[in-house]
Amino acid sequence: MFRLQGSRTLAVDLAGDAVKAKNGSMVAYDGRMTFKKMTGGGEGLRGMVTRRLTGEQMTVMEVTGQGTCYFADRASEINLVSLRGEKLYVEASNLLCTDAGLRTGTTFTGLRGGATGNGLFTTTVEGTGQAAIMSDGSAVALRVSAQYPLFVDPGAYIAHQGSLQQHFQSGVNFRTLMGEGSGESFQIRFEGEGLVYVQPSERNTIGGNV
Amino acid sequence: MPFREINSKMVEATVLPGQKMFSQRGAMLAYRGEVSFTPNIQGGQGGVMSMIGRRMANEATPLMTVEGSGTVMFGHGGHHIQVINLAGDTLYVEADRLLAFDGTLQQGTMFMGSQGGVMGMVRGQVTGQGLFTTTLKGHGAVAVMAHGGVIELPIAPGRDVHVDPQAYVAHHGDVRNKLSTALGWRDMVGRGSGEAFQLELSGNGAVYVQASEEKL
Repeated sequence: MFRLQGSRTLAVDLAGDAVKAKNGSMVAYDGRMTFKKMTGGGEGLRGMVTRRLTGEQMTVMEVTGQGTCYFADRASEINLVSLRGEKLYVEASNLLCTDAGLRTGTTFTGLRGGATGNGLFTTTVEGTGQAAIMSDGSAVALRVSAQYPLFVDPGAYIAHQGSLQQHFQSGVNFRTLMGEGSGESFQIRFEGEGLVYVQPSERNTIGGNV
Repeated sequence: MPFREINSKMVEATVLPGQKMFSQRGAMLAYRGEVSFTPNIQGGQGGVMSMIGRRMANEATPLMTVEGSGTVMFGHGGHHIQVINLAGDTLYVEADRLLAFDGTLQQGTMFMGSQGGVMGMVRGQVTGQGLFTTTLKGHGAVAVMAHGGVIELPIAPGRDVHVDPQAYVAHHGDVRNKLSTALGWRDMVGRGSGEAFQLELSGNGAVYVQASEEKL
């Protein structure tokens, strides 16, 4: 029931069911819709407190209705992700819309978060259903398997799913310290089985200047 | 004359001798052939009365007349461009979103407050669209600008469309619009979903919606 209309607008067909979407991201709808803000991302009191403490803030509304609702956010490109019991890791700011049946939560990312400029915590989406994530330019989904680990620029990483281990690695050496860095001193190494979503654009990260 | 889309942010128009077109001043990117660009104080078709009306309504985006023989490429500010073909119906669009249009189209200004009574007056303030809007009527093509891509949603009896006022670009056809609110006590105390105001469009026609809540 999630469809892309062009690459920057998400159309969701609803028949009395609900979806969770980023606050204020509706651009149009036909039929009847109601919009309700969900306190603490709809994760209850515990989720609300966790989100406050971790700084991984997410304001979400619940959209219920009959008809088609269209979502978009600042002309970002939209990518559809299907989950079958897996877990998707994504920054709250890149999450546009999820099936109401999917659970969202917060998790610790380790050192990666500091380097991506996204903080030390990230949002998880778990269950069976569809999610829509946003990227700056159209994202590619890169497959990671046991033989083929993947290295990603922290500024271009947007999300990943599957059972992946991530390691943060730096190529900082004597030259970097002398101010002769290549600008590619930090990477995230993904190992295991899964998908990594990469956007053709780089956020400003601390690592990018080294 | 039709526009040819070169990519999502650039269109090409063919100018033929004896045929005029209008474009936003400074929107020409390149041209081939013998083409002249002259500032147009009147702001398109409609004469002096229309000019005064447009000034008063604050819908006076500076236009230029494009004449001659050749091809002209238009684009502005890296915005997305949507080409709309009119077949005798009326297009309603904010003047600053107009990139270029066929010179045969009749241009006018409409007081939006006349639709929907007091809410109509409120609408201009809330949506930032102003109380007046520009109309284009006749047979021909119009190129409008938007932030992000544009989707076209059909409006039919029994199939009203609600649009976020910030994402609204233009509409055409026999369409009534009014501002609808979903304000409850929750919104009053600052816990809104961010979707408190919507433009409700009903009748027969289509509305163009951009993939962003950003105004131009």
